[in-house]
Amino acid sequence: MLPASLDEAVSAMAESPGAVPVAGGTDLMGAVNAGLLRPMALLGLGRVTELRGWQYQDGAALLGAGLTHARMARPDFAALIPALAEAAATVGPPQVRNVGTLGGNIVSAHPAGDTLPVLAALEATVTLVGPEGGREVAVSHLLTGLDPLRSGELLAYVRVPLLHAPQVFLKAGGRTGPSRAVASVSLVLDPARRAVRCAVGAVAPVPLRPLEAEQWVAGCIDWDGERTVDPGVAQAFGEYVASACVPDAGTEGGAARTDAAPTAARLRRTVSVLARRALGRALK
Amino acid sequence: MTTPSDSTDTTGNPGSGETTLTNLATVREGAPGSATGAALGGLLTATATAPAPASTPGTEAAAAIRAQRSGIGVSALREDAPTKAMGVYPYAADLWAEGLLWGALARSPYAHARIVSVDTRPALALPGVYAVLTADDLPPGPDGTPNGAPTGPYLADRPILAAGVVRHHGEPFAAVAADHPDTARLAAASILVEWEPLPALTDPDQAFQAPPLHPDGNVFRQLPIRFGDPEVVGEVVVEGMYQVGRQDPAPIGAEAGLAVPRPDGGVELHVATTDPHNDRDRIASCLGIEPDRVRLVVSGIPGATSDRDDLGFQATLALLAARTGHPVKMVLTREESFLTHPHRHPALLRYRHHADAEGRLVKVEAQILLDGGAYADVSSEVLARAAAMSAGPYVVPHVFVDAWAVRTNNPPSGRMRGEGALQTCFAYESQLDRLAAALDLSPLELRRRNVMTTGDLLPTGQAVTCPAPVRELLDAVAEEPLPPLPVDQPDAEWLLPEGPGCAGDPAAVRRGIGYAVGMVPMLGIEGADEVATASVRVTGSQASVICAAVDPGTGFATLAKQIVQEILGVEDVYIAPVDTDQPAAGPSARGRQTWVAGGAIERAALMVRQQLLQPLAARFAMSPELLSIKDGRITSYDGVLGMPVLEALEGKDLWATAQCRPHPTEPLDPETGQGDAFVGLGFCALRAVVDVDIDLGTVRVVEVTAAQDVGRALNPRQIEARIEAGVTQGLGLALMEDMTVTDGHVLAPSFVGYRLPTALDAPDIRVAALIEDRDVVAPFGAKAVGAAPAVVAPAAIAAAVRAATGMPVTRLPIQPDDAAV
Repeated sequence: MLPASLDEAVSAMAESPGAVPVAGGTDLMGAVNAGLLRPMALLGLGRVTELRGWQYQDGAALLGAGLTHARMARPDFAALIPALAEAAATVGPPQVRNVGTLGGNIVSAHPAGDTLPVLAALEATVTLVGPEGGREVAVSHLLTGLDPLRSGELLAYVRVPLLHAPQVFLKAGGRTGPSRAVASVSLVLDPARRAVRCAVGAVAPVPLRPLEAEQWVAGCIDWDGERTVDPGVAQAFGEYVASACVPDAGTEGGAARTDAAPTAARLRRTVSVLARRALGRALK
Repeated sequence: MTTPSDSTDTTGNPGSGETTLTNLATVREGAPGSATGAALGGLLTATATAPAPASTPGTEAAAAIRAQRSGIGVSALREDAPTKAMGVYPYAADLWAEGLLWGALARSPYAHARIVSVDTRPALALPGVYAVLTADDLPPGPDGTPNGAPTGPYLADRPILAAGVVRHHGEPFAAVAADHPDTARLAAASILVEWEPLPALTDPDQAFQAPPLHPDGNVFRQLPIRFGDPEVVGEVVVEGMYQVGRQDPAPIGAEAGLAVPRPDGGVELHVATTDPHNDRDRIASCLGIEPDRVRLVVSGIPGATSDRDDLGFQATLALLAARTGHPVKMVLTREESFLTHPHRHPALLRYRHHADAEGRLVKVEAQILLDGGAYADVSSEVLARAAAMSAGPYVVPHVFVDAWAVRTNNPPSGRMRGEGALQTCFAYESQLDRLAAALDLSPLELRRRNVMTTGDLLPTGQAVTCPAPVRELLDAVAEEPLPPLPVDQPDAEWLLPEGPGCAGDPAAVRRGIGYAVGMVPMLGIEGADEVATASVRVTGSQASVICAAVDPGTGFATLAKQIVQEILGVEDVYIAPVDTDQPAAGPSARGRQTWVAGGAIERAALMVRQQLLQPLAARFAMSPELLSIKDGRITSYDGVLGMPVLEALEGKDLWATAQCRPHPTEPLDPETGQGDAFVGLGFCALRAVVDVDIDLGTVRVVEVTAAQDVGRALNPRQIEARIEAGVTQGLGLALMEDMTVTDGHVLAPSFVGYRLPTALDAPDIRVAALIEDRDVVAPFGAKAVGAAPAVVAPAAIAAAVRAATGMPVTRLPIQPDDAAV
């Protein structure tokens, strides 16, 4: 099935509830080839052109779910939502970026999905369109399963507030070539609300928000002046974020593996370095 | 870390990868005195660097040959390059036969378990399933009970289908043939097995005390080396423990093959093997039939770094075809591929180096423990290589080594480029860095004071008779200009550790430079009968070569063509595809084909040349020795008489078959480890330049400069390619490649879990020098080139990380914890 518009796609989904929508297919086809998934039908979203661009709406950007990572990584988009562009540029090799989409990244909800911490930090919402019309759901609610995708619904748009302030995305993969994130940190400044919002990806099934650390560091920033902080504050913020997001080894059940403690310590260190660098770059 | 004296010349030559490809022999762009040569793109460099220590008489001879378009010493294009680039090269997975069935294997989910019972009825009940085979379908053991038809290169201990007990995660115990690959896999999964899990022995240290995992015991081999005086003590002593992880050969195409039954009850196998004749004999013995009823045809090989398929795959494929009477195709998944084929031996090494106050090595003591996995495979041979190479390319008067290869329930270990030599190279080079620090010497200077040369003794008491230009190699890499520092090039983009657009921070990056030198034995060791047979035929204007030496991507077929072009002056050379109807040429491993099969082709071609020149010489009334073949013409010594080769060949059909058998070796003494066990040695020196993000512990290798002892560069471009491949594979082991195994279970058998270097991870690889000091006993004087860079690269990268961070770096792959300060 190859619908040419969102309406056609939604009605096609309603007609065959077993169909699996496919956009870039970078995750889905891997699972099919590995024999993990045998969809009854595929609903190709490649021709739904209205989902492949973006528009402005009430101080926010309404991004089509079919935006590819390669498109988001281009300079015009980077001027709009820098952190999302940075995240998109680090996704996989170019072949994956050319076809992989924003919507697919959200729906796959892989713990190491690169755009997810950015969307969590930006407090983005998604528009889900089903037979009964559309509804708005916070990305974090969708990811945590608080408000899951219902049968017959398609992820159509992602609404991202435009903050007109520095925002960064940092990813550690442990190598120079493309890799799955070991940890990633997205940090955005919201000068209007005098807030810092930060999300840590890849360390848990969903991006984590260290709310207390955010509040604390927002209080340390001189919002009216140069917007700088003491290096010691950045260091402390990094450790605050890391201890909030990476649990101590051994706290979860007694069957902790013997190598869990050094692994947790390394991950905590990585997150701490990323958060410190993220704050440093945002306030530069 | 001391930088070489000419490090002020940091202008470098970032595009030198291009340039060096065109250079033939000893080439040093940017080195003092050769600026002109570099500017002219290398054509003049061979002469411009003549005073440099690395250049040899061979250089000029090679320079003379370069004017030629074909033959030895020319960078001929790879035989298979066009078809591989266009994507039409047929690999084993592309094979097809009418009415074929699909094979699948059922594998053990346990690292160690007893098979209480197997019920294959649910699988047989599935529609479309033609056969389900277990160990019961194989020829029984000597006591009449099924034993899974064990096989192996030295010890026959690995069953092709497990009988009674499984000893590693993923060991096959049943094989299925069905009319669809999904049906075959479903059937394999529906076999009912009652398992009795047994405790898994996964720590090689425990193998000595643990109850035997196999009737043969847990120690594959123990090899002591006693060389010199055990009581000697040096003034400076350094100790270290080193650990090498489990590297997978990770062929880019997983195991695949097609078996076609023959009317005589035999079977014809189309597989991507690197050792067709030995595989044929072992398959026949597993199936209980005569070897001449099994025929192996070598199909396109999608990646092999010595051995490729495990024999169980090929033998079960053959068995399925023989039993069903249908062609059977089997393609392993990536996961199965990781579980089944042999990996590099993980190693634990404990070293103690003694030196005098001037830094001259006095004594090396070492303990080496190799984890051989569940079955013997080539562990005993790898152990001998590791133990004999344990002191490195240095003069050490007293060496005492105790080495063991043991059986565990970990994934199988086997042959993989530079086996044995790689593990010890990392350890002894790390020790030399440690010793340099203890003596406050530069690592380079310490190495220079100890390098071996021709005539020095190995710890096994064998004298090194081949050229050993270790010092020249070290000098060559040290003299190369260093890559520029990013601060000197503010406009150039700096690729940080962590890659483009990620978390790297220039302020946290430290640069380090490390040197390493190593050696690797060529050909089979300890009395292995190295022999290859080749036939050369010339009809009209075309020569053909029939030689069962497999080219697994190393470029041997191209070399074979060049050899015939060189000797016969015929341009059009056809290299016949390999099958077992041809006389044996042995395995494509241990860097032997250029020497052994290349030597056989050379001899056969020389015999044809004699047949061609004899009648001409008679006609010219001179002896055939006075005629030479050059540029497609036969010319007499005085240049007066001559005719084109093609004219002389007209209407002729000349054939010759020849063998090459290098001089024999002897086994190492089991008590003292002494003996002339090696045919030859190849050496390589590398300089690695790394950037380390000291907060995150991420390493990026910026540049690797290589100098290699090649004997004679038969095809310089192919040698460059082999060096690039070896360095990149070594880099993988140094930084990222590690099969994670917990309690004998392979945790992430995929390319997400097992990370290979990508183009962004691979550094600029520059060749400082190919030192051409001919090995007089080798055909054309050429040495094997593939393994040495892979052996040395991990040690060089570890040394560079050490220099950048000041951390000890004692394990491979280097973890973020080892590189974060």
